[in-house]
Amino acid sequence: MPIPRKPERSVVTTCAYCGVGCGFRAETIGGRVVRMVPWKEGKANHGHGCVKGRFAFDYYDHPDRVKVPMIRGSIEEPWREVGWDEAIAHAATELKRIQGTYGRGSVGAVSSSRCTNEEIFLMQKFARVGLRNNNIDNCSRICHSPTQFGLQATLGAGAASQHFDSILQADVILVVGANPTEGHPVFGSMLKRRVREGAKLLVIDPRRTETVESAHCLADVHLALRPGTNVLVLDSLAHVIVTERLHDESFIRERCHWNEFEQWAALVGHARYSPDVVGPEAGLDPEHIRRAARLYAAGPRSTIYYGLGVTEHSQGSTGVMCLGNLALACGHLGREGVGVNPLRGQGNVQGGSCLGSWPHMLTGYRFVTDDAVRGSFERDWGIELDPEPGLRLPNMFDAALAGTFKAMYIQGEDPVQSDPNQNHVVAAMRSMECVILQDLFLTETAKFAHVFLPGSSALEKNGTFTNAERRVSMVRKVCEPLAGLEDWQITVRLMNAMGYPVHYDHPSQILDEIARLSPAYEGMSFELIERNGSVQWPCNRKDAPDGTEVLHTRSFPRGRANFMLTAYVPTQERTSDRYPLLLTTGRILSQYNVGTQTRRTGNLAWYAEDVLDIHEADARQRGIVDGDWVSIASRYGSTRLRARISERVSQGTVYTTFHFAQSKANAITSDLSDWATNCPEYKVTAVEVVRMQARQAADRAVAAEVSA
Amino acid sequence: MSGPAKAPGGEQAVIDVERLVAMANQIGDFFAPYPRGQREEGVRNHLRNYWDPRMREALLAYVAASGGTGLHAHVLDGLRLLATPGVERKAYAGPPQ
Amino acid sequence: MWSELRALRDEIDYGTPPRDGAPVTLTIDGVAVTVPAGSSVMLAAAEARRAVPKLCATDMLEAFGSCRVCLVEIEGRRGYPASCTTPVEPGMAVRTRSDRLQALRAGVMELYLSDFPAADIPGGWSELHEVIQATGVAQHPYGRGENHLDAPVDESNPYFLFDPAKCIVCSRCVRACEEVQGTFALTIEGRGFASKVAASQGQPFLDSECVSCGACVQACPTQSLVEKSLFVGGYRRADSP
Repeated sequence: MPIPRKPERSVVTTCAYCGVGCGFRAETIGGRVVRMVPWKEGKANHGHGCVKGRFAFDYYDHPDRVKVPMIRGSIEEPWREVGWDEAIAHAATELKRIQGTYGRGSVGAVSSSRCTNEEIFLMQKFARVGLRNNNIDNCSRICHSPTQFGLQATLGAGAASQHFDSILQADVILVVGANPTEGHPVFGSMLKRRVREGAKLLVIDPRRTETVESAHCLADVHLALRPGTNVLVLDSLAHVIVTERLHDESFIRERCHWNEFEQWAALVGHARYSPDVVGPEAGLDPEHIRRAARLYAAGPRSTIYYGLGVTEHSQGSTGVMCLGNLALACGHLGREGVGVNPLRGQGNVQGGSCLGSWPHMLTGYRFVTDDAVRGSFERDWGIELDPEPGLRLPNMFDAALAGTFKAMYIQGEDPVQSDPNQNHVVAAMRSMECVILQDLFLTETAKFAHVFLPGSSALEKNGTFTNAERRVSMVRKVCEPLAGLEDWQITVRLMNAMGYPVHYDHPSQILDEIARLSPAYEGMSFELIERNGSVQWPCNRKDAPDGTEVLHTRSFPRGRANFMLTAYVPTQERTSDRYPLLLTTGRILSQYNVGTQTRRTGNLAWYAEDVLDIHEADARQRGIVDGDWVSIASRYGSTRLRARISERVSQGTVYTTFHFAQSKANAITSDLSDWATNCPEYKVTAVEVVRMQARQAADRAVAAEVSA
Repeated sequence: MSGPAKAPGGEQAVIDVERLVAMANQIGDFFAPYPRGQREEGVRNHLRNYWDPRMREALLAYVAASGGTGLHAHVLDGLRLLATPGVERKAYAGPPQ
Repeated sequence: MWSELRALRDEIDYGTPPRDGAPVTLTIDGVAVTVPAGSSVMLAAAEARRAVPKLCATDMLEAFGSCRVCLVEIEGRRGYPASCTTPVEPGMAVRTRSDRLQALRAGVMELYLSDFPAADIPGGWSELHEVIQATGVAQHPYGRGENHLDAPVDESNPYFLFDPAKCIVCSRCVRACEEVQGTFALTIEGRGFASKVAASQGQPFLDSECVSCGACVQACPTQSLVEKSLFVGGYRRADSP
């Protein structure tokens, strides 16, 4: 047939892949999605899309989708298909039994950043009223938890200060530990557009990424630092700014505490952070550090965008604070074209952060230990809440290994593949008596689950997502849930089965509850979002009825902002004779995260396996040629990958992605983590790479493993 | 890595104590550049508002039993503040107060 | 700039990007309309609900002025300027419909259709088909001359295909790749009749620098670049056995 079929129906919704949160028209024929067309009125994408959101939607009705709930007595047994009622009753009975035996704190829950705001909110409510503890965490624990901590500490709000479009007014763009053209492609296109218009681009990244150099886009300064030296280098930029007196004194006096600035200036102004000292340590030319600092300070409108290359370190939170400090010192906050902005990985990871899915915080980043805050929830929910913080995700695994944590309700997460030090996570999973997994597919984590609750994709439900610029957009049901229930409905059922009666007719009622309990969402409602297309929080009826595009314009949430002291503390993960290379991990354009979705689409045409990027000199030294199978060993474990000789990595650094389960990238990553949030140090692992002798044997072994 | 650890009191610790000590020291490293007083308070505020109470208790039990071997001095001081009546204050983000 | 991007509307294609200059009032077929300075006559016409037929213009891309179907008459000016590349001026009086304009557009359309698969004209729903509707020109008087109807289809990309037989070389795909996506993977190779859309150095799309963002597919007015998901059982040309 030469003439394409014309779609019959279209529904405007929000892409569930990365944190850009593009608006799409999902078009259907006979109830099946046949096309996703970028929505021109989407304020995050203005009619643009990328290979994931635009094309890779086939996973949603892939034959691998599980459509019936399943249970089993132990992970050695085969799954048994059951009805929803039986699955829910079984899960609740198990949770209650385990709490009866091991105590109230022996169970916990994890929410998903691929689920809606309403579903995330319900998960934390489930933990607090259903499990009666605060053992609730979300996957930003392993990506952007340092953002929330570091930006809240300095600026008072743990989120992006700008809206995406603001970059079109920037004169200087500083990208740190992010590769937007691959990780956040639609925003990356906007960034490149601004660079083509003449903005200066500064990139701090160990790799020569696509953002550093691509067609008609070349960074003015690229600081290819040694992995793990972020804080050192950022403090050195600050050193240049304070010693050359490039800071904005009037901004600091008006908007910050002058004494804190002086304290900070004394720290970073110390000779320890002079470019001449830092340069050799971080593998950089001191002159490049000076140039970057001068360009950033001069602006006049300089903006910072950063990613997991900042957060996923043992000093991740400190690194984020460094960025806050820099922006404060130069007065690059509170107007268009400036700011500090995290680029978030998952579609709703900002929502995951905002909606109280934390062991220590309720919605809007307010402490569980705060009696007034907790009290407002207790009155609304009619139940007394645990006044103490709960366990974080990695602490849950630690506690499981110590024998004090026995059950987990996981919604749409795959910690066995995505979390660091896989051997440790697997041992922890094995030690649990009941793992309840709610997901689309039988993931790596499903191997260790006892109850499987089939979830729904973002095309099968109603709700909202919050993107990386704090924009709350509508997720609309395009087709009926394949397994019969939207994710929020599953959680509601489980909550009822746990003995907390609750009922919602529609997710809009859950958003109303969020608005009622959270000042930042106070004015938010489905009706407002329908009317405006999308709304950025803070949104409240009195001051910001239509939301807020740029934060900190007149004052900071705490009145004034704070300089934090950011001394450099090297990671304990060091190279040695045995492990002389530094491995850093990341992602590529066509695949998404652990690949559960994109591996089930045509995107395999671009990237069918994870590979190890290695510098030519390091490869030659080890007798490795392009395409060789190599084994990568760290202090924590080993795996094997195919090597690719690459100019994108510097000598001494190797790089891989974690999109495919069989490559077990997280078998080698360490269990070191950020001091403040336990966000894992994915970005630095000392490794050795060895060419595998029997290459064909390895091919066969891997093929066998994949087909198994 | 050692197996399931017992706290020195004989009761099972929620998490391996060695790991808790390492985590507490990492927190201490961050607050180290602050002046005396603020330093300890930073550690206290963080442990109080971010840590599960069982983790704090396990660490306090370890300090009671061992004197806190392996912990930085100001981390120990911060831990003591946790147990001092009257030091409790509202949770906050930002520099130690 | 960003405020202009936000003026884009899903249900309407203004033809050229919205601008945010001071208001300018002009008339389109006698209807007064006010648009920001810097806007094109084409945009003003769309705003006045007197949309001009167009092929190489779309509001996500800067005006290009190559397809010659958007011609208009402007009082006091000679000739038939392209409405996409003509900026509005205060008091301008524009005519979008006349016998002469219809004849000019019909001539252009006939030339396009002379190198377009005849079997694909009825039943289509692309922008080209909308222009066929609007101009009432669905056939051409020419014989079978030199053409691109047998150029091979590029199906290398898993999600979309490129059928050069339907390409009118308007370069919307090339410009979308540059202006919207910023990848510069597409180009127009050759000149005159020989000119054709090519990915990188004449490679298949999959092997080229193309990142498969889909901006070109969305920009294509003829469904020469089109999603594979819209075909059941694969793509087959009408005249193929």
